Amino acid sequence: MSLTKDRFGGLLFLLLSITYGYYAADIPLLPGDKFEPFHAQTMPYWLSGLGVIFSILLIVLKPAPTMESESISNSNLVLMLGLMAFTFVFSVALPWLGFPITTSIFLASSYWLLGERRPKMLVFASVPFALVFWLLLTQVLDVYIAPARLIFW
Amino acid sequence: MFEGVFTGLSTALMPFNLMMVVVGCFAGTFIGMLPGLGPISAVALMIPITYTLDPSSGIILMAGVYYGAVFGGSTSSILINAPGCASTLVTTFDGYPLAQKNQAGKALALAAYSSFCGGTVGAIILIFAAPALASVSLSFQSSDYFALMLLGLTSVAAFSGKGQVIKAMMMTVFGLMIATVGNDVITGAPRYTFGQMDLVDGISFLLLAMATFALAEVMMTIMRGKMFSTSETMKPVALSSMKLSLDEVKEVAPTVARSSVFGFIVGVLPGAGATIASFLAYGLERNLAPLRLRKMFGKGALRGLAAPEAANNAASTGSFVPLLTLGIPGSGTTAIMLGALIAYGIQPGPRLYVDHPDVFWSVIISMYFGNLVLLVLNLPLIPYISRLLAIPPQILNPLIIFFSIIGVYLVSFNTFDIQMMVFITLLAVGLKMLDFPMAPMLLGFILGGMLEKNLSRALVVSDGSFDFLWNRPLTFSIMSITVIILLLPWVLNVGKRLGTKLLSAAD
Repeated sequence: MSLTKDRFGGLLFLLLSITYGYYAADIPLLPGDKFEPFHAQTMPYWLSGLGVIFSILLIVLKPAPTMESESISNSNLVLMLGLMAFTFVFSVALPWLGFPITTSIFLASSYWLLGERRPKMLVFASVPFALVFWLLLTQVLDVYIAPARLIFW
Repeated sequence: MFEGVFTGLSTALMPFNLMMVVVGCFAGTFIGMLPGLGPISAVALMIPITYTLDPSSGIILMAGVYYGAVFGGSTSSILINAPGCASTLVTTFDGYPLAQKNQAGKALALAAYSSFCGGTVGAIILIFAAPALASVSLSFQSSDYFALMLLGLTSVAAFSGKGQVIKAMMMTVFGLMIATVGNDVITGAPRYTFGQMDLVDGISFLLLAMATFALAEVMMTIMRGKMFSTSETMKPVALSSMKLSLDEVKEVAPTVARSSVFGFIVGVLPGAGATIASFLAYGLERNLAPLRLRKMFGKGALRGLAAPEAANNAASTGSFVPLLTLGIPGSGTTAIMLGALIAYGIQPGPRLYVDHPDVFWSVIISMYFGNLVLLVLNLPLIPYISRLLAIPPQILNPLIIFFSIIGVYLVSFNTFDIQMMVFITLLAVGLKMLDFPMAPMLLGFILGGMLEKNLSRALVVSDGSFDFLWNRPLTFSIMSITVIILLLPWVLNVGKRLGTKLLSAAD
């Protein structure tokens, strides 16, 4: 039995279902709930059981003819992970640096990561955009955006 | 019914709502035109905007975006051979060859006329079908609802394609698992929060929809390297005349009529949706066509373009029937709309017809206006809108990512949500790479809470016994259909294998 894409997915889901079922026991019940036909743990236990059944079926059954596998190069994977890392940094920096600065840096660095190298484009497609969007939110739509903690410390 | 139609007309004809239809159609066309981003992503991107509107305007905007995105997908299919979504994949079969023959304008016009006819026929049938079904479903009890939700979840999985049924089932279960995160809706007990206060309210529907569709789709486009493609096929071809001759109109008219009705019927079936409708309509027309025309299919046949376009738009309208009347979404896009309606505090289903007739009818009426807007405003503007394809992808993709994350942030003002989005996007990308479908997961997540509530009620009423599944004829009928749909792929597969074996034995 070779480890195909499907079987790998099945194994991961089996692990997830077992872990999910294990933590179902941690859900607190109200006094007397155990004697009720349905309580907070019922659905999680059933879902865990269903998950285990489907995972085993996927692992055991003859694998379906796979679709044309997509060619994903390592460099594209790095790009995707880079963008995700930038998004994470954006979420951490947002309260500290404020909306216009964080957005400008996020956009400019994302353009750069995806291959844009013209300095004018990097600046003009990020800073004015961030400022106009911020003004639109705060001045036109009256949305409150917290000021940067570092500046108003 | 006519009172309802007038209510819908008066709501849909309000200047602001008319503007929403126009804005929705334009925005949908823009987003749908981008390869990789389909109606689901387009509607997901619009959710944060609709939160600031009243329910009728919000859902009208989303319906407009839905239509616009399907139309935009057809445009990119014809111009650059890159379908914006699965339901416009068939459009590339004959649309792109037509464009290569220097008939891109004609192909776009035919796609727009066919879509308009499909959508219009669908909207007219919907006006009669939806209230009829809604009045029947008023007698539903919790056991019937439970059975219906099971039917919706099962059929989405069963229609997900060869070899994908178990994976779709797993994703449905995964969606139901995610729905259990947060305080239990019945007892209030915290489940899977791991002491995190940010998880007490559960995972936001908007966050999940944006992460799994908008963000994950952009990431997949980047990973596939499509944004760096410089092949000839990705360059938009020049537009030509948009006029159709009388003979050409006569040739495609019966095809459009057939495909519209056919598409609507397929669209009503939960889980089937526009993609299956377009494939089936294309196959049907190819089989019906005389041999001379059949040979043209795949090489730029007008019928081959008109059939899927009429069918996918009629199916998009048809998929609103189970959503509005039963509260069961027929497709991934309507699943997102269901989530948005629930966020408004409106429960789609039989009571929608009674409690919120303005929402119910204005959506139906606005569909007609949506089709009209696409035909009258969008079609002449296609040469200009298609210039969007010229925006460098290294600029466009970060902007889509920014709009996705800021859309979620502006609803909660909690940066934890953005971090959660990063985590869910990475998970979704991993699952997509393993060929796991995302729509069943979202459907499971949206229906999870209601499914649990109705199951709990039914079990309490029947004192813990499962006889509620067969005691009521209606519940029993729905459960029987569910079982049939669940077993159908396996039965067909076994039948096919047996047939092949018998044939080889006879040889």
